[in-house]
Amino acid sequence: MSGAFKKVHMAGNIYIGEIIGNEEIQENCFLMRIKIPPRFEKPLPGQFVMIRIAGLNDPFLSRPISIYSFSSGKQSSLLELLYRVVGKGTQIMAGLIEGSQVEINGPLGNGFHTKSLKKNIVMISGGMGIAPLSLFLETLSRKSSSSSSVAIMYPGFQSLSAAVGLEKVRKVCRDVNVCTDDGTLGKKGFVTQIFQKDMKNFTPENTSIFACGPKEMLKALAKLLNKSKFVCQVSLEERMACGTGACMGCAVAVKDQRGGFAYKRVCADGPVFNLADIIWEDKDQ
Amino acid sequence: MAVKIGRLKLNNPVMTASGTFGYGEEYADYIDLNKLGAIVVKGLSLKPRLGNPPPRIMETTGGMLNAVGLQNIGVDAFIEEKMPFLRQYDAKIVANIYGETYDDYKKVARKLSSTKGLHALEVNISCPNVKNGGLSFGSDPEVAARVTRIVKDETPLPVIVKLTPNVTDIAAIAEAVEKAGADAVSLINTLTGMSVDLKTRRPHLRNITGGLSGPAIKPVALRMVWQVAQRVSIPVIGLGGIMTAEDALEFLIVGARAVQIGTANFVNPQATMEIVEGIRNYLVVNKIKDINEIIGTFKIPLS
Repeated sequence: MSGAFKKVHMAGNIYIGEIIGNEEIQENCFLMRIKIPPRFEKPLPGQFVMIRIAGLNDPFLSRPISIYSFSSGKQSSLLELLYRVVGKGTQIMAGLIEGSQVEINGPLGNGFHTKSLKKNIVMISGGMGIAPLSLFLETLSRKSSSSSSVAIMYPGFQSLSAAVGLEKVRKVCRDVNVCTDDGTLGKKGFVTQIFQKDMKNFTPENTSIFACGPKEMLKALAKLLNKSKFVCQVSLEERMACGTGACMGCAVAVKDQRGGFAYKRVCADGPVFNLADIIWEDKDQ
Repeated sequence: MAVKIGRLKLNNPVMTASGTFGYGEEYADYIDLNKLGAIVVKGLSLKPRLGNPPPRIMETTGGMLNAVGLQNIGVDAFIEEKMPFLRQYDAKIVANIYGETYDDYKKVARKLSSTKGLHALEVNISCPNVKNGGLSFGSDPEVAARVTRIVKDETPLPVIVKLTPNVTDIAAIAEAVEKAGADAVSLINTLTGMSVDLKTRRPHLRNITGGLSGPAIKPVALRMVWQVAQRVSIPVIGLGGIMTAEDALEFLIVGARAVQIGTANFVNPQATMEIVEGIRNYLVVNKIKDINEIIGTFKIPLS
């Protein structure tokens, strides 16, 4: 015993949630709605949860999924996850029916930094990257005193059949400039190309940029903004084992102040990082 | 529930495994750290280490591969920044150390020897010896014994040597480190493995190979703990794929004095607490007053 200095244990943040909806809203894209105890902390936009099927050991690890929507209630809160089936874990998630139980660990990670937001808020997403940005927009619109939002969104998808979440962002954005790789919805092209054409409308002084999407999209965005003074926050995705900072599995190379770099944990140090700080090259190749 | 690892007395036999529990603080919101037998912290080196480039982990059937590359803050930062937090708890604190040379081990052990609130050292000998062609310190009985002696000479703390399973005869290594003065051995570290991405035909891990952990390795770990427990008289700490109290009890029965919980923490941050409770419950149900009454009570069928 260390007497007076004994540390008091805090309540953990693992919850049993009950699925009340798990609908395929687009090809391979699912919206999972989970009833969760009201103790579940109100998430910050950009935070995620680790989810696993209660009592199931295969797949072995929990899956990190960013929070798409949240509403708190007295009896229970509602947590919504938007996910695409990409592998074994999400495949099994997609097969869950109403009433199934899931273990939810979260909310985890750090959200987007919302202090000193500029006049224009530009959000750029690729595919499922729309999910955390959608929660961010929702939060901003609730906070903003004026009814008209200032956010301008650039959601990109591979194709019309992969487009999700647009209805919701349209409600809270000044402009939504949709694009698809194949031109089946909105403008044709990569989202970074579409944004590049509009860049002259923004200045680093009056614009905050937020992005989430596949690595290739973020790399292209980093290249585009490289020489500019635009500040862009990105939410990253990585394979994780624990989600809580212990396993060091979800490493990303981030520049440090001395001109070197360090491997940061996407889960505990992120998932939101400053785009300009991320080193994309494989150091050893 | 109390057990003794040589001079090290634990309130219960449940420890955390190095590299799966950070420096304790990562789990402080999930469990009561006071209720752990011991916390074994992430492996410490003389200087901070960057670790391996990603991808570092891959899920496998019943487990996972990791090639984190021993990323850590270094021994000095550990003492300065992490020990003040850790020494607030009742759990015994064990520093896991490793080096790339004999001298590294010596220096790290020396730095930790006078650290207040630290109860033991666990020596990771699974890492490559850079001066010996990168062969692991733990794969040669003589080299393993030499590392053990060097650490023992530097510290008054109990020394646990953590053994690698990637050898032909793990019990021979255990005997060698026992002779060299080890106070206990812990086993097993991860089994070297790999996995291939069929789309790209590349390894899933940037490092190509990684350490396999999780329930997939439990039967192998149990067999090795059983073998080692018969060959040495110092306490054996069992680990490898323990997910539940039942798993932990198997290790105790074949001769482990304590167990370490590793990968289970990733999947269930409350696993250690469930295991402590599960063991307690087993003792109650079976009317066993002292946990030590079941340690090493494995019954071999008569032939």
